[in-house]
Amino acid sequence: MVQFYSTILSNSSIAKDFYKLIFSWNNSIPVPGPGQFLTIRVTDTTVPLLRRPFAFSGYTDSLNAASIIYQKRGIATELLAGKSPGEKLDIIGPLGNCFIVDTNIKRIIAIAGGIGLGPMVFVTEYFKNRDLDIIFIFGCRYKVYILHSSLFSSVTPVICTDNGSAGFHGTPVDYLRTFDKSIFSESILFACGPHPMLNGCHEFALEYNFPCMVSMEQIMACGVGACMGCCVKSVKDTGFARVCSDGAIFNSRDILWT
Amino acid sequence: MDLRVVIGKRVLNNPVCVASGTFGYGSEYEKLIDLTNIGAIFTKAVTLNPRPGNEPPRIIETPCGLLNAIGLANVGIQRFLKEKMIFLKSLGCAVIPNVAGSTEHEYKEVVKILESSDSVFGYEINISCPNVKKGALAFGTDPVMVESLTGNLRKITEKPLIVKLTPNVTDISIIAKAAENGGADAVSCINTLIGMVIDIKKRKPVLANGTGGLSGPAIRPIGVAMTYKVSRAVSIPVIGIGGIICAEDALQYLLAGASAIQVGTGTFIDPAIPGKTLDGIKDYCIKEQIECIKDFHKYIK
Repeated sequence: MVQFYSTILSNSSIAKDFYKLIFSWNNSIPVPGPGQFLTIRVTDTTVPLLRRPFAFSGYTDSLNAASIIYQKRGIATELLAGKSPGEKLDIIGPLGNCFIVDTNIKRIIAIAGGIGLGPMVFVTEYFKNRDLDIIFIFGCRYKVYILHSSLFSSVTPVICTDNGSAGFHGTPVDYLRTFDKSIFSESILFACGPHPMLNGCHEFALEYNFPCMVSMEQIMACGVGACMGCCVKSVKDTGFARVCSDGAIFNSRDILWT
Repeated sequence: MDLRVVIGKRVLNNPVCVASGTFGYGSEYEKLIDLTNIGAIFTKAVTLNPRPGNEPPRIIETPCGLLNAIGLANVGIQRFLKEKMIFLKSLGCAVIPNVAGSTEHEYKEVVKILESSDSVFGYEINISCPNVKKGALAFGTDPVMVESLTGNLRKITEKPLIVKLTPNVTDISIIAKAAENGGADAVSCINTLIGMVIDIKKRKPVLANGTGGLSGPAIRPIGVAMTYKVSRAVSIPVIGIGGIICAEDALQYLLAGASAIQVGTGTFIDPAIPGKTLDGIKDYCIKEQIECIKDFHKYIK
């Protein structure tokens, strides 16, 4: 991890309340991987006070640029949405661990719910040149949240909406149930999104006996493992795990789902 | 310029320290900042046995502040000595474990075990954590218990004993005097204030613990006022804590009577704040022709 000032390259809306921020990522700084995150101090004032964590949605070595996708839904992200190209960002990163694929895996099933999209876009880009089959499922409440297809250069996402206003009517896990179960052997499930969706992914992977990695979310203060504030319940060790430094990517079987 | 701070029989190189609970065991910030410039690292609280901590959620941001109920999650004294002290002692800066417990026996055992380590500069006695069901805060609100606990720890160690005070009392100077009477070498002033945030949709407190401890710039004027009051009630050094995020904040504490300060929540906002704070204090001393940091309190009008 490094603390540095990055320059905003672009910051534009990609769907209702969703933004994509692209910023400089000098090649002297450790390269971010899919599942990792950074923290941004969005203001020099004390409102909001804490840095905010955002998962990487991509990194392009040739452009010295990294990106995040964020949803405008509070004071910090409203301030972020107001920033323009050329402005500086106080960044600490890359933080946390990555989604990884064992050699025996032939297929990634990437499931994104809502703003969980960012890291899954990164997953599909990162693994596209490996000899892997990638299925990308994006779940959202209704069709205004559907993003432009240019975001997904390497795969075509399956869209699921809760109200059936576009794509498959149901959740991503409902959609998984339409597959022939033979597809799940040699597969790994990667998921990022709301807690109930992650829980659903975990239970599905348990039922069909294949691995599932989830990106957990919790309010963070330090982001570096010092404050113990961002803990989630775990079946291991002390019963708690820090999202920032033990994750944010966890084997779903290590989480105590409640 | 003399930045040294005398606490008991020992000397800190400079007055800018990092607060317990906000700096882990030091190694978490190793890659981000130069730890050797820190006056002292006050470690995450350590207890006799490991503690898992409270149920999540444990933290929530408030206006200019942070409410936390971590619950003294820590690895316990044995792992602290075997794993955490190895890194800490390699730094060359003062290491002050924050010692917590539920009974007097636990405090005494932890200090006895830590006495085996030459790398321990001194002890910050945590009698003020608001987030555990028993112990800690109960000690900190009763002057008789504070004097007795401090006195019994005094018999075990000659190293600096720093008692960390809670602001959640009617008169903090009474507790500070009790610590001084028990033989404390300094007091840390202040720990967090008890607070609560309620989720009006779920109609329940946001933190699983219900209440938490409030820190950050929101509490700075309270910390400054209490430092002012305590430093006039006792003759031992006062270490000012509460909402310091820049040199100007730290200077308020020093003028109020603090001999040293701790940056806590500020480190979360920007890990460079402790270093920038020290630089800003030096600049102020040069500009105002202050030769000695220990004379600071004389300059308030």
